[in-house]
Amino acid sequence: MSENDPIDALDLKQDRRQWLKTSATALGATLIPMPGVSTQTLQTESKPAASTAEAKSAGRFFTPLQHATVDELSETIIPADSHSGGAKAAKVADYIEQVVGQSIDESQKALWREGLRLIDVMSQHDHGETFVNLTPERRIAVLTVLSDHDHMAELPEVRFFKELKHLTITGYYTSKIGIHDELEYKGNRVLQEYVGCDDPGPATK
Amino acid sequence: MAEPEVNLAKTYDGVIVGSGAAGGMAAHVLTSKGLQVLLLEAGKKLPIEQELRSMEWPYDNPQRGFLPPNSRSLSFNEYTIRNPPYGPGFEKSKKLYSYIGNSEYVKNIVVEERENPFTGTNYAWVRARCLGGKTNIWGRLALRLSDYDFKAKDRDGYGENWPISYSDIEPYYDQVDLYLGITGVKENLPYLPDSIFQRPTKLNCAEVTLKQGLQKMGRVLTQYRAGVTSDGLKHNKYRSRCYGRGACERKGGCDIHAAFDSPTGLIYPAMDTGNLTLRTNSTVREITVDTNTGKASGVLFTDSQTMKDYHVRAKVVIVAASTLESARLLLLSKSRLYPNGIGNSSGHVGHNFCEHVMGPGVAGRVKNLVGKPPTLDDGRPGGFYLTRFRNLAEKHPKFIRGYGFEGGSGSTMFPRGTDVHGFGASFKDEVRQNQGAYIGMGAFGEVLSRYENYVDLDPVVKDKWGVPALRFHYRFGDNEHRMAEDMKETAQEMFEAAGFEIMHVNNRVLTEGWSIHELGTARMGNDPKTSVLNQFAQSHDVKNLFVVDGSAFVNASCQNPTWTIMSLCWRSCDYLAEELKKGNL
Repeated sequence: MSENDPIDALDLKQDRRQWLKTSATALGATLIPMPGVSTQTLQTESKPAASTAEAKSAGRFFTPLQHATVDELSETIIPADSHSGGAKAAKVADYIEQVVGQSIDESQKALWREGLRLIDVMSQHDHGETFVNLTPERRIAVLTVLSDHDHMAELPEVRFFKELKHLTITGYYTSKIGIHDELEYKGNRVLQEYVGCDDPGPATK
Repeated sequence: MAEPEVNLAKTYDGVIVGSGAAGGMAAHVLTSKGLQVLLLEAGKKLPIEQELRSMEWPYDNPQRGFLPPNSRSLSFNEYTIRNPPYGPGFEKSKKLYSYIGNSEYVKNIVVEERENPFTGTNYAWVRARCLGGKTNIWGRLALRLSDYDFKAKDRDGYGENWPISYSDIEPYYDQVDLYLGITGVKENLPYLPDSIFQRPTKLNCAEVTLKQGLQKMGRVLTQYRAGVTSDGLKHNKYRSRCYGRGACERKGGCDIHAAFDSPTGLIYPAMDTGNLTLRTNSTVREITVDTNTGKASGVLFTDSQTMKDYHVRAKVVIVAASTLESARLLLLSKSRLYPNGIGNSSGHVGHNFCEHVMGPGVAGRVKNLVGKPPTLDDGRPGGFYLTRFRNLAEKHPKFIRGYGFEGGSGSTMFPRGTDVHGFGASFKDEVRQNQGAYIGMGAFGEVLSRYENYVDLDPVVKDKWGVPALRFHYRFGDNEHRMAEDMKETAQEMFEAAGFEIMHVNNRVLTEGWSIHELGTARMGNDPKTSVLNQFAQSHDVKNLFVVDGSAFVNASCQNPTWTIMSLCWRSCDYLAEELKKGNL
């Protein structure tokens, strides 16, 4: 899987598409159960790896490495910029770990385990490194493949990307950084008078 | 926790079943006239301020304001593809709530669905069994009906007229306005009469733009007419005036009670008269009958916690359990004298069930607000109401009756517009630049009252308390679907007229029940053969039985019903008290 050849940036997308197409058939059968497979089957089939057991004993869902990967994944979805901190600063990975760890939906847990594994498989395949070891540009490249195929919900890696994006958005925009620093939300305080718009002039054409 | 003992040995002047908008109003009116009243509520009294926590930041809540992981609320798809009471696939969730129960702040207010099953056609039946019922979380839009509604049959020949005119109820609307407080702006519309408004909140800039666009089309956008006191109420020590804190958009109620709710607006003041006895955790299962007189003698109820049964006597029984629960209770009250259920000689109890159809709407972006500095847009009880324009002067060729839109715009605590494609720096920037530029609205339209839309009792299924469940036979009809088509088209047309960039058009009709405006299962009328109640919500068959909630409606109109429910109830209770004094009940 490791492929260290330098890849032309322009060909990257085309190559990913191809990769995605083949992975759908090559990897699909052994990964996340396809729709129609019951969660009971899933529970018995997806044996927790030793590393998962370690994480559990520490009262956590993710292993330290998985947590670090989620940290970088969420930061790639919502990065720090000159305006405000990003998902990492907002501790979105902790939020995701709480939601997934407490979930009573085993298929959601399985999606995260397998999704994180797939991200590293993709990263290795395309760039020869696991996701956390990639440069920010290459991380973006990995997620761009998934984002560009977000209509292909039958693929587990695509489903994982959607779930990752959804929980990152939820976690970030409900955090202090998201509400106060990023959006500069003005509400939830006592007002003398709602300002509104008396004179429509400035705001309309 | 055991209920405080209340005196069940005495005969009360009135026993009221249910403590929502109608039950609270009945308690207020009757106790203010010196009657001794017992109010029974099936649910418990919640420590409501602790539930609502209106100013809690998401990051200060362990679940960020969402439901805990072992609970879930039903989605549109789940209502549509599965029949209640929601069997396989849901067993892992410890608590299952209706679609509205999707937040930390509402979960204890709405019922657990499986404890309260129902059968038949799909229906999003939202119930709040607790003191105050759904008024704890209502949407607060407080509108009047007019003779366009009360005399709708005269205009289009469909259905029945109400046995009252606007002039009969107008003084009661005024009293409700003054007693509970309402904000809004006078518009002098014949089809949507003005209230006696307190200070209105302002529209924001996007809304003003839409209003101006509509004026060219002869359509009216007005400030959300909210059942909220903006100036305060000197006669009520339980409620604060609205001081525009944010988060009013968040699902859940108002913990300073600026927004009307039945406990602080009606029940606590009624208790202060010394004439009201309240018993919560009291599930009424039957209205009992005096076989000698044929009159109602009281009610039989089960303590919801201890499961013990009690009987209490009253001179008058006032049913205010909500449209569907009230019909259920009448149907449950079968006896030798009333084999089809009490008050049901017409066979109309449970029938003519109507409500509002919703779903179609539009979301848009106001281009010149993109990238503007953040503003505060949600420190007010609501955005705007776009009033009915169909079938007023001109007849629409495809459907009868009308619809209006509720909408709002601007910044919210959780940003709109996160559902766009992509990720990364550009995504983050786009969300920030667009956050104040969104505007959206959704329609509420009249569902015609039809005899063949009805509820009855399920012969097999019972709820947690052993009470037979309600069975639905209810579907939107052609008129509703044709109206929904029109809603979608006019919504787009109006946003285009205002110059908004249309982001999303919603043409999906939501599951029956979604509006939470169930009405009409015991309609009033002059003819006892085709109606259940007279114009004072008094049973045609049983003189000392009144049904004072939304079940009395003859049609649904397209206006939100709470203010009309309370105004009608006030009028009925005035009459009730007079009749009782005269010895006529």
